[in-house]
Amino acid sequence: MARRDRRRLPGNLGAGLWMLALLGALALAAPWIATPQPWVVVRADGWQWFPEAPAEEGARWILRAPIPYAPGEVDLDAVLRAPSAHHVLGTDGLGRDLAARLVHGGRVSLGVGLLTALLALAVGLPLGAAAGYFGGWVDAGVSRAVEALLCFPGLVLALALLTISPPPLQELPDALRLASILAVAGWIPVARYARGEFLRLRSSEMAMAARAAGAGHLRVLVRHVLPSALAPVLVSASFTVAHAILLESALSFLGLGVQPPTPTWGRLLKEAWTHIETAWWLALFPGLALFLSVFACNLIAEGCRDWLDPKAGAP
Amino acid sequence: MLAHALHRLATGAVTLLGVSLCTFALLQLTPADPLGERPATGPGLSPQQIESLRQLYHLDRPLHERYLRWLGDVLRADLGRSLYDRRPVAQKIAERLPLTLTLNTLALALAVGLAVPLGAAAALRPGSAWDLATSAAALALYSVPVFWAGVLLQWVLSARLGWFPLYGLEPVGWGGAGLERLAARAHHLVLPVLCLAYGGVAYLSRFVRNTLAESVRGEAVRAARARGASWWRVLSRHAFRQAAVPMLTLAGFVLPGLLAGSVIVETIFALPGLGRLFVDAVFQRDLPVVLALTLISGTATLLGILAADLAYGVLDPRASRGSPR
Repeated sequence: MARRDRRRLPGNLGAGLWMLALLGALALAAPWIATPQPWVVVRADGWQWFPEAPAEEGARWILRAPIPYAPGEVDLDAVLRAPSAHHVLGTDGLGRDLAARLVHGGRVSLGVGLLTALLALAVGLPLGAAAGYFGGWVDAGVSRAVEALLCFPGLVLALALLTISPPPLQELPDALRLASILAVAGWIPVARYARGEFLRLRSSEMAMAARAAGAGHLRVLVRHVLPSALAPVLVSASFTVAHAILLESALSFLGLGVQPPTPTWGRLLKEAWTHIETAWWLALFPGLALFLSVFACNLIAEGCRDWLDPKAGAP
Repeated sequence: MLAHALHRLATGAVTLLGVSLCTFALLQLTPADPLGERPATGPGLSPQQIESLRQLYHLDRPLHERYLRWLGDVLRADLGRSLYDRRPVAQKIAERLPLTLTLNTLALALAVGLAVPLGAAAALRPGSAWDLATSAAALALYSVPVFWAGVLLQWVLSARLGWFPLYGLEPVGWGGAGLERLAARAHHLVLPVLCLAYGGVAYLSRFVRNTLAESVRGEAVRAARARGASWWRVLSRHAFRQAAVPMLTLAGFVLPGLLAGSVIVETIFALPGLGRLFVDAVFQRDLPVVLALTLISGTATLLGILAADLAYGVLDPRASRGSPR
């Protein structure tokens, strides 16, 4: 078995990180990448960055955004156009540019995914840590709750919560509301991993030495055990991101996610479904974006796991 | 072994109680307020509906009594009436159950049937091109969203090639019967079953590969090889016997994925099963149906895991002696 080389990242981890970074950058920069507003307008008397629309008149030279359309821009003269030089990824049933909708949609899908993982960490890490470290009644309580919630499929739980829409959640903005709903199932794997790690490290020499030196529980937990336990917990959090992206899109696909004008990858697929016999590009590209981001998260999680514990995965 | 089984049953009972408590907690979060402080203007609820909810869930009682009464009703299979068409929820579920069960059984059988040979072939030669390729393909397949797979299958196999019907259970307004009808249904179910099974294939094949690779390296297999047994004999007599045990446990864990998958697959292919009922109920804000199905999916998963666990104890005596797994 090859010895672990901490300086070199395993291939799948690197590939996953690159893919996710690229998709994230596209989503973050969406308002500048996909906009009808020109980037630079050069006129006889000088030039302008991001001018207002009327400034285009009398321009000598215009540099446009790579996708010169807004995500909601309806063009009934260009309905269901196949990919071409004008519309790189084609247009939908209302003549909206698919590429523009795709990069904007990534903001919701990736944003909700990351937000869910953060919420799941915020809930699951302390609970799992307390259960593993203190044991006894705390552990019994957390473990029973985890076992019970584990029985509900994530999608079923999310759909039930959406039906009920508890009053405190109704006030939240769409993305945060969805992320909170997804985090109700999302914290469980994080808590399980955290519990296991803290249970293992509780009786480690490092923790015992710290306690012998007079450190309180909180100090031992946060300063000594947490740093060693964090990496495996982050692995589970990156599976949570993948799962949350899938669930968010599933909800959007069913028509229950973020409200309509906002494009999301799930909604794009739902819209594609009505044109399945004529417009293949509508189904292909949003699904591809979704697949790549989920794949990237899974690669990162698997890669991290191999990197931390070479025995677990590869032969 | 009996002690192990009893212990598992006891913890299972506690978890079952937890599952019912979770469902009950969901119910307590409903905005339809017990005392009508949120009046008839609540989302889509008429005063009669609120009244029927109040009766069904005993909303005028204190919390613990409410829970016990609700639990008693559930145990008597009294799940209330649908807010949408006033029919008993248990009856609505009973009509939809056979289709979803058929779909899931077929999908599980297909997943196991494909995953075991694929995983075994990879485990025999760890590190080979075939191993790496199937491993990467499984990880990729596992990341394909079910609804994308469904839409792509419909596009290629139905819309383009016309091999399979787009959706439905049988042709609309069709009067076939007997064998002909069975054939038509089977034809309609090919794509949904594929769609439901591929995630399981991806997940299970990697698992089979890992457990088999471990047992192939083990002493029993080495000894059998040394005696001159063929690979086929070694695999079937020794390696599989060891690997079957963890695989069984896993089948229990594939269940929740299948149930969640049914929700999407039945929606895409317009099949009148439990998943479709669930989605419709969510849109109709039909609380009794949503909660009943949530409870059923939680209980079914728990029973699946419990059954797998008990079987594990029977097949692997080490497990019952409380050795760490």
